[in-house]
Amino acid sequence: MPGDPLRHLDWKVLAKSDRKYLKQYQEETNLRAHLLVDTSASMGYGSRGVTKLDYARQLAAALAYMILGQHDAAGLFAFAQGRAEQIPARSTMGHLRPLLLLLEKLQAGGGTDFTASLHALAERITRRGLVVILSDLLDEPVKVEQAIHHFRHRRHEVLVFHVLDPQEVAFDFDREAVYVDPEGGERVTTRPRELREDYRSRVSEWRERLRSICIEKRADYVALTTDVPYDRALLEYLGKRSRLL
Amino acid sequence: MPALSFLNPSFLWALPVAAIPLLLHLLSRRRLPEVPFPTTTFLRLLEPREIRRIRLREILLLVLRTLALLLLVLAFARPALTPANSVTHAAAAVALLFDDSQSMAAIDERGRPRLEEAKRRAEAMLESARAGDAIVLGFATRGGEPAVERGDDRVRLRRSFERVEALTRPAKMAATIGSLRRALERSPLRERELYVVSDFQRSNWGSEARVELARAAAAGARVFLSPVTTSNVANHAFEAIDPEVRPGAEGRGLELRARLVNHSDAPSDRIAIRLREGDALVGGGDVSLRAGERRWAAMPIESRRGGAEPAAEPAAEPAAAPAPARFTRLAAEMDADGLSADDEWYAVLGPPRRIRVLRIVEARGTAPPRFAALALDPQGNGASGFSVEQESPAALLTLNKARADVVLLEDVAALSGDAEARLRGFLREGGGVVVALGPHADPGYYSRRLFPGMIDVSLRAAEQAPAGSAFELRARVAGHPILEGLAVGVGTPLSQARLTGIVQGGATTPRAEVIVQTSGGLPVVVAAPRVAVFLSSLADDWGELPFSGAYVPLVRGLVGHAARAESSAPADLVVGTPPRTRLDLAPPGAIRVRGPGGYVSSATVEAEGTGVRAVALDPAPAAGFYEFDAEGEPLATIAVNLDPIESDLAVLPADSMRGGAGTVVVLPTFAALERHLRATRRGEELWLPLLLIAALLLAGELALASSRKLRA
Repeated sequence: MPGDPLRHLDWKVLAKSDRKYLKQYQEETNLRAHLLVDTSASMGYGSRGVTKLDYARQLAAALAYMILGQHDAAGLFAFAQGRAEQIPARSTMGHLRPLLLLLEKLQAGGGTDFTASLHALAERITRRGLVVILSDLLDEPVKVEQAIHHFRHRRHEVLVFHVLDPQEVAFDFDREAVYVDPEGGERVTTRPRELREDYRSRVSEWRERLRSICIEKRADYVALTTDVPYDRALLEYLGKRSRLL
Repeated sequence: MPALSFLNPSFLWALPVAAIPLLLHLLSRRRLPEVPFPTTTFLRLLEPREIRRIRLREILLLVLRTLALLLLVLAFARPALTPANSVTHAAAAVALLFDDSQSMAAIDERGRPRLEEAKRRAEAMLESARAGDAIVLGFATRGGEPAVERGDDRVRLRRSFERVEALTRPAKMAATIGSLRRALERSPLRERELYVVSDFQRSNWGSEARVELARAAAAGARVFLSPVTTSNVANHAFEAIDPEVRPGAEGRGLELRARLVNHSDAPSDRIAIRLREGDALVGGGDVSLRAGERRWAAMPIESRRGGAEPAAEPAAEPAAAPAPARFTRLAAEMDADGLSADDEWYAVLGPPRRIRVLRIVEARGTAPPRFAALALDPQGNGASGFSVEQESPAALLTLNKARADVVLLEDVAALSGDAEARLRGFLREGGGVVVALGPHADPGYYSRRLFPGMIDVSLRAAEQAPAGSAFELRARVAGHPILEGLAVGVGTPLSQARLTGIVQGGATTPRAEVIVQTSGGLPVVVAAPRVAVFLSSLADDWGELPFSGAYVPLVRGLVGHAARAESSAPADLVVGTPPRTRLDLAPPGAIRVRGPGGYVSSATVEAEGTGVRAVALDPAPAAGFYEFDAEGEPLATIAVNLDPIESDLAVLPADSMRGGAGTVVVLPTFAALERHLRATRRGEELWLPLLLIAALLLAGELALASSRKLRA
């Protein structure tokens, strides 16, 4: 056809049959997904048997399986204040085993410092890809915003799974008690009945703020609680992937 | 200062219960569980803003709960405030004056006898008596020394009132208060109270009773008055029956005169009166009385049953004594009203009587006018009940009771000393005198000589009415026998006739009563027992009165008043006093008195004047006829009636009993009495207000605990 580039012409067929065939290719993209799992101490909280970390690593395992099953590359970064474990992204199915092994041995502990951990990861991940953050994002929203912005600046697509325990949303305790922060060890004595409404309102505002930040930074935000099945998270991922391809 | 005491002090041991909220609060704070929770950041953010509110609320809740429990415990302990002057803390001598007089049988504004409410109050008072109290019971009709009972002997106290009834006797308030006061003074107990449960009938609470009450208060007793009613009950009653039956109007038949009274602020129209002899109705009539009016009313008695028919008698012997009446006992009754006991009156009648009048006139050349004689006996045969004999003053020298019942001095200038002395003797014998002045009467003589010792009237000079005007006669007293035939009230004119002349004068003591006066206040008719003075002329010298309709009843009234024996209204033969009668001779055997309700009493004989008097030993318990006999031989029959003082049911405003020395407190209602007894015996109980406050506090606690506003 006039206009077709000559470099796709099959010269061997032309030479043998004097007929002009163009060679056509189906290109397969290589998506590099980086699963960032928060292992800070707060992720070890679970009011109904399943901790946020359990939920996050099960979700990460499912995502890794799907990613590798689609011949995309998947890597894992477990971050917490002062420590980070990582498995670089690869696309072979054989890569799934080390990913799962690492996920299995993850333990919650230490504090969360998004600015430090995520900024370090953003610098370390050089090739453009999909960054999936699984965290309770218990840090100052400004810092979360800066970290997402860093990833976006490095031209990564960002998908944030905001994992919270149902009690953290509802604050449905009955008794007056001393509430202890597992990360900082801070103690607050209060009566849930008195503060419940205000607390819920504040958490709701906080989640909305994070959603707004993500929208502003063109990142996807999925609010999850550990009592929600994974399918919603997976559907969110698949939607994101289809948009990326 | 009021003192606080507790009626159930054992409950005070539960006071520490009030500390439970505080303990729970402290315990719950000490054992708070630790809960790991990652998002304490948000709690921390909320805390500074909310903590003050929560703490304030916690403190408020704590205070409310503690106070509510404290008040509940206190309420169960039954706190009571006792006034400084109460008898709460010491045994007291308590006197109760219970009014059981006849007026207490009157129906009150709620349709119940006053006695019922009085018993209710007395029982409440006795119920509040405590061990150690000395209760002194006094009944108003009984007098005498009161009984002293122990406060804890409730059965005996209650029994004292079980059979109390309103007795047909007047109250002896002053005497009873006096005896109760003395009983209180004799008591070794320092706290002394006198309660008076009565209807405070105006006629029973005179100055003597008030003085006794003030003396009791001054002696240190706290006096509490508990009036059982505040309203006046309309009541009309008999007050007397004239035992002297008279010939009826126009000389036909007989008529009986009864004095009736209307104790009411409203007129009573056509009160039906029935006269009975045994069960037989023998006469009666309708009488209308103005508000507060008291007057004599004449009622016909069935003529065919009357033994004396003066009209049927030949006029040949007008001065002869009338035939004896067949009626001896009559009972008068009227329609029932507020107090039924006084709607009956018993009377023992004397023989029908014709009043013999000796008219004394002076011959002055011409025949004296006969107006008065014609007014008394128009037919000249005595059929009107009056027979008139006309004489000169000299006839007075032979005057005695056998000749005349009443002497009428008509325009006599003066009497000789002998005639005057005989006239006084006639009065002492029971005769009556009517003095009618006139242009010839010497005021100085009458004023200085004749009237002293006879009637307390002083005279000045005769006064002629100014030209063109005349003296109008107006009644000054309502219901007086002199005005019996004139339907007049106080201040109403007797007739259209006027007087042109009058002798100025007046009553000098209350014993002489001005019955009729001019519109300017000059006395015209003055009366004393068996004496009447007409201060003008009964002839036509000073006006045209003889030609007026008031003349005949007025002249007959004057003579009738003078002829009426004092004993004709036996006011002292009342229930509660011993029956008595006058006898000419002492009977040979023992005297026995029989009366209604099986009353039988022996009687003693006392000398009285020229005869004797038989007096029963026991007081008459009820109204009715009482017969005296000696060994089966009838001696006399008398009628005993209720004391008319009990008929006036008007009550005193209890507030008017306050004042004077000491403390007199009025407890106008049963509720007020109960409150007072509660306050003084047990103190003013505070459990109810405390419970209410506790309930309010708990409601506030509930509202505060569930308040979203404070929670949020």
